[in-house]
Amino acid sequence: MSIVSRIIAHPWCGSDDRVSPPGRLVNRGLHQSRQGRLHWHVLVGLVMLIAALPSQAIEPDAGWQEALQEARGQSVYFHAWGGSEQINRYLAWVAERVDEEYGVTLRHVKVGDIAEVVSQLQAARLVGRHDSGNVDLMWVNGENFAALKHDGLLWGDFARHLPNASLLRESPSISMDFSVPVEGLESAWGGAQLVFIHDTATVKSPPRSATALLEFVRDGGRFAYPAPPAFHGTTFVKQLLIELNAGKATSMALYDPVTEANLEAVTAPLWAYLDELHPLMRGAGESWPVSGEMTRQLLDDGELDIAISFNPNAASAAVANGQLPDTVRTYVFDQGTIGNTHFVTIPWNARAKAGARVVANFLLSPEAQARKLDPRHWGDPTVLDLSRLRAADKAVFAGIDVGVWSLAPGSGSVLAEPHASWTEALEAAWVERYGQ
Amino acid sequence: MSLPARTVTAMKPIIMLRHRGLVWLLVSLFMLPVLLGLCGTVAPALGFTPTFAPGDGFAQILTDPRLLPALGLSTFTGLLATFLVLAITVMALVCVHDTRWWSWMNAAIPPVLAIPHAAMAVGLVFLLAPSGALVRLVSPALTGWERPPLDWIVPDAQGWSLIVGLVIKETPFLLLAAIAQLPALDVDASLRIGRTLGYAPARCWSRLILPRLYPRIRLTLLIILAFNLTVVDMAILLGPGNPPTLSVLLMTLVNDPLSRAAASAGALLLVAVVGLSFLLLFALEIFVSGIARRRRQSGVRGHGFSALRVLGKGVVMLILSTSLVTMLLLLVWSFTRRWRFPDAFPAQWTLSNWSTRTDVLMQPALTTLIIAMCVAALAISTAIAWLELERRGAAPRLDGIWFVPLLVPQISLLFGWQAVALWAGLDGTWWMVVYTHWLYTFPYVILILAVPWRELAPEWGHAAHTLGAGDWRVLWRVRLPMLIRPLSQAAAVAVAVSVALYLPTLLIGAGRHQTLATELVTSVGGVDRRVVAALAVLQSILPLLAFVLALMVPRWQSRRLARQSTRSLTRTAVA
Repeated sequence: MSIVSRIIAHPWCGSDDRVSPPGRLVNRGLHQSRQGRLHWHVLVGLVMLIAALPSQAIEPDAGWQEALQEARGQSVYFHAWGGSEQINRYLAWVAERVDEEYGVTLRHVKVGDIAEVVSQLQAARLVGRHDSGNVDLMWVNGENFAALKHDGLLWGDFARHLPNASLLRESPSISMDFSVPVEGLESAWGGAQLVFIHDTATVKSPPRSATALLEFVRDGGRFAYPAPPAFHGTTFVKQLLIELNAGKATSMALYDPVTEANLEAVTAPLWAYLDELHPLMRGAGESWPVSGEMTRQLLDDGELDIAISFNPNAASAAVANGQLPDTVRTYVFDQGTIGNTHFVTIPWNARAKAGARVVANFLLSPEAQARKLDPRHWGDPTVLDLSRLRAADKAVFAGIDVGVWSLAPGSGSVLAEPHASWTEALEAAWVERYGQ
Repeated sequence: MSLPARTVTAMKPIIMLRHRGLVWLLVSLFMLPVLLGLCGTVAPALGFTPTFAPGDGFAQILTDPRLLPALGLSTFTGLLATFLVLAITVMALVCVHDTRWWSWMNAAIPPVLAIPHAAMAVGLVFLLAPSGALVRLVSPALTGWERPPLDWIVPDAQGWSLIVGLVIKETPFLLLAAIAQLPALDVDASLRIGRTLGYAPARCWSRLILPRLYPRIRLTLLIILAFNLTVVDMAILLGPGNPPTLSVLLMTLVNDPLSRAAASAGALLLVAVVGLSFLLLFALEIFVSGIARRRRQSGVRGHGFSALRVLGKGVVMLILSTSLVTMLLLLVWSFTRRWRFPDAFPAQWTLSNWSTRTDVLMQPALTTLIIAMCVAALAISTAIAWLELERRGAAPRLDGIWFVPLLVPQISLLFGWQAVALWAGLDGTWWMVVYTHWLYTFPYVILILAVPWRELAPEWGHAAHTLGAGDWRVLWRVRLPMLIRPLSQAAAVAVAVSVALYLPTLLIGAGRHQTLATELVTSVGGVDRRVVAALAVLQSILPLLAFVLALMVPRWQSRRLARQSTRSLTRTAVA
């Protein structure tokens, strides 16, 4: 079976009776692991007995006072992408604040790709570790959320019971994550949009569409994108896919679960495009930047003319930090670029669920959201409805200057993410074609 | 084996029994992760654990289209890098020995060895990239480049960057091992005899010294070969990404339950690759020694090529100085605010990379330091215990087995050990991480300590026994103080090894223990280059500090002893 068809056979890509339902898988896992544990008790004795003690359970909709009480003194392991130093520092600030305010110790576990954590949770489920898991809170969206939801690896509807959830904006991208209903299983954290950064000192008028980009590299423009499954790379490929199918009969297929037949039809123009683009890129399609951040670095070094970011305010932050010259500007393609919402969620086997809830609620507070929007700290768009805030909080948001280097408000529309199942199918197809 | 020790143990059968328990405890502590780890890799690969790692691992990995390119890349980089390491080591010995560069080279090796792999790899990218420091230094004045050239890329798709990194990092290791063997070979006498017989100096080396030296450094060479074929952190930082080397490919597979069987099967393939490479090396050895024997017997005297000598000297100096320059470059970047191409030097400097990022830097530094110190203490005390048991005749010499963790690919052992830890619910625990670090530091520590421990004249102990001291007192007051120099060196090596370890922390720590090594590898490509530089500087400073301390402690000790003896002398005189 090719990689692609194996992915398509993945349970949440449609019904397929070759895959056993998750319940059965879990039961077998439990049985096996009990035997394993018995064996291990003999070997490690007491240690295991202590580890196996059941932890106190709190419900996702438990009263807030109860959650606050239980959270005090807990250590929350927050697994979040650690690839951006600004975000890491923002989370360090969050850790300080939740410690002051609620007595919760927040530890940021920096991961390269959150899909690894999804796999870890699946592995934990297979060996039957239903409590005291290693992950208390995780940063997630899209196909990873879809996988967690499908496999029953999430705690429950905690998000709608957070006090600050009442401040959230009404938006389809907050209630549906890559066309998968959220149902309170994850709590919105921020918005994002695919943007491009260029240096006006070297490139006066950057390419504003997929075809213009191809023209640009033909004329010696320096361009490269991170190799999928790095998520900036995957998003860029999805952007191309939407644009190359625009106005065609295939364009709506992207918002339904992927099938082998429509994958082939929809991606045919994409492969033709990439086959032409890759040899002209920096690295000639053999060496790739590893992340969006790295394209930013290479733009500053002069090895690239265009950087890719998923944060409309990234350039302002980078200029303020001395990481980009102040001649850079941010722009999007004329037809718009992909945007989405990112979330945090709590796994079913989390050790410090109450603490994780308290942290998730703090992340939604006007204080935390305003600081997150400020390009000096991160520059990530808010998910709050500003009209629902108190006057003082509104004033804080109004006082934030995103700077001329950021994406000008109202320039270019936001395109919706394709259905979650497309992500993995596209990545696998891309790797099969270009990853060898 | 000393006589009094044997009498003591024979007289006290209970102690002997306790000793035997200790011997078994130490051996099983050491072998447990090795054996369980290998079982934990073999079982999923063969499909014995279908719920934990479903599917036919070998079928999956063998049909993976990335396998062949990854395998080719691993063997190409691993074999070529090892060959270059050996060639340059020989060149260093032949061309630098007996010149004024020799002492400089000897002084440069320990600090270069102390630089952790990840830090070195990061620095090399900063140095060699088209927009890197080397090009900046000569542009646009010499090159005319106003923008970085497009002619090469670091890391490149063919693996040359990785080879450069491996050669720079591993050559000092083999060189140190070779230099340590020279006194035993009485090189000066061999050179004198050779010259008297009319051989050029290079011929003296190839005819008289290298054939005797090679068997003594063979094991080190095998360790380097296994390392080069299977390294993960350097291959992530310097190797091609798409497809990566086999070990990096396996790392992307192991965390997904659906491909864990494939990862385990791949890890066994890696063992086979290493094994075959060892065989290849042995075959080459036989072939080369055959030729060498014939040439030795031919009696041709030949003459030296001074141009070659200069070239050899140049290559060796280049390698050692690149390491030091790389460190300097990291230091510069960590204090840089703006440094754009093609400026030769930073335009703006700042302290803020350090001062405003203390939380990002200090937390992993502290974790690294605490783990390293515990591991060093543990490794030193277990090594002393073992060597002391060995000296008292309670334990056999097992020098062979200590090498096993260094010869088995880390991935192949740790995939299984991680699976075992996961199964037992022990992954992510701090002591498991320390235990696994100990497994990889203990071999170095015991091998460093073994020779001085065995060679220390037993008469000192006999004298103390005669004066009424017991075994413990002899150990504590006589042997350990006399061996303070190798002990502190071994501790420094333990710290250096632990600080550089990436895979054990990553796989066993479940992401809960972020050391400078894991932090550095995750940060590269994403995090601000200036902060990455600061992390790399920190990672290099810790082992350097350990080595400086290892030099200072014996001096303080001897100064204190000198003071004490003067005092007691004065006291005797007064009395």
